[in-house]
Amino acid sequence: MRFLFVDRILYSVPGERINGIKHITADDHYLSQDDNGRFYFPSSFVGETLGQLAAWNVMKSGNFTKRPVAGVAACATLYRPAYVGDTLLLESVIDSLDDVVVQYHSIARVGNEIIFTIDGALGPLLPMEDFINEDEVRRQYAELDRPGEWSNVSSMSLESLNLNPQRSATSFSFDAILSSDPGVRLSAVKKISRAASYFPDHFPNKPVLPMTVLLECQLNLAREFIKRAAFEKSYVARELRRIKMNEFVYPGDVVTCSLSVKSQDESALVLSFRNEVEGKRVCVMELLLVSDVS
Amino acid sequence: MTIESVFPKVREIIADVLVVEESDVTLNSRLIADLGAESIDFLDLVFQLEKEYNIKIPRGQLEKNARGELSEEEFEKGGVLTAKGLTALKAYLSEVPDEYFKDNMKVNEIPMLFTVETFCKLIVAAVDAQSLKESFA
Repeated sequence: MRFLFVDRILYSVPGERINGIKHITADDHYLSQDDNGRFYFPSSFVGETLGQLAAWNVMKSGNFTKRPVAGVAACATLYRPAYVGDTLLLESVIDSLDDVVVQYHSIARVGNEIIFTIDGALGPLLPMEDFINEDEVRRQYAELDRPGEWSNVSSMSLESLNLNPQRSATSFSFDAILSSDPGVRLSAVKKISRAASYFPDHFPNKPVLPMTVLLECQLNLAREFIKRAAFEKSYVARELRRIKMNEFVYPGDVVTCSLSVKSQDESALVLSFRNEVEGKRVCVMELLLVSDVS
Repeated sequence: MTIESVFPKVREIIADVLVVEESDVTLNSRLIADLGAESIDFLDLVFQLEKEYNIKIPRGQLEKNARGELSEEEFEKGGVLTAKGLTALKAYLSEVPDEYFKDNMKVNEIPMLFTVETFCKLIVAAVDAQSLKESFA
């Protein structure tokens, strides 16, 4: 299964900005199902798509000798899910770029509606050959690079159609709960298998767990935490903050995640996450959930 | 602006970036050896400090400051600090105890020396330089 999500690059000025699209269709492999049975592209993967878009721009800018990898994101805001039938209009703006790191921000829209944003993203640049053959990545870029008008593709969104794939949704979750103190903390474990479908693309020469897969697992762990806490209010995820991946996670690793309440008031709940492999911090983030008034 | 005046905010940012308790962060704490900083943490820290103080800290600024008037060739040869380079580094990183410096030190080992005070000094210098630039603008 491909772990490359941008369908087409419409416009790109290397080192400055890039626009592209992704259609969310019944052909997408990575889909989840909401409480109403409606299929959607997981929010973290909308973030992955925006990150990949920025990466195409940066790789082109550096003549495909280096590639950015996930590092830090100050904030990712989730406005609404991307449902099957939606066309994501993607935009990444490169705020700064040098030999060591790229800084960018990104927006995903459906029509004129903003559905996901990333602010303050930092991606360290590493040698391309460590991850993927240069010729292969050039070929992939050439395949996507088909300039066009945004206005033409935005009218292709099929929001009103009830397109549901005829198969089960993919689940991104931790394997087991290690300990639970309802409403206070929760810890869980995930074994990373080489058989996972994202490794062939992420990356051919160096398979590492995509940060966004780990983020999606944490979002699902937050749902489990809220279910167990049985709070009087229901909450919906709004912002992933202070995300940082400081070590690669490899097939064969065992990730333990500790989730705890950082703050809670009338309108919001902030959860803090720390992921470790063999006692070493690999990824941290905070999740802001707001009271669901719908 | 002084090291003492910026320290509380720098401590807060460092604790936040490295996910450690503020109480663990002292002026003398070494970022890598004492607080567990990794390379991505340095990028994150510089980004947070730039945002907080509205300054620009170019990549490698600390090494550049340490080099002072020395040329690159005088400062290091083949990635290893020269005797002159080591002296310049010791003079710039005056807050770092002498025992942490070693002969034939590699340039890529310099970040091992950085303390919280090193970053406070960097902020004070960058803010002063920014103010000077603005007063001439």
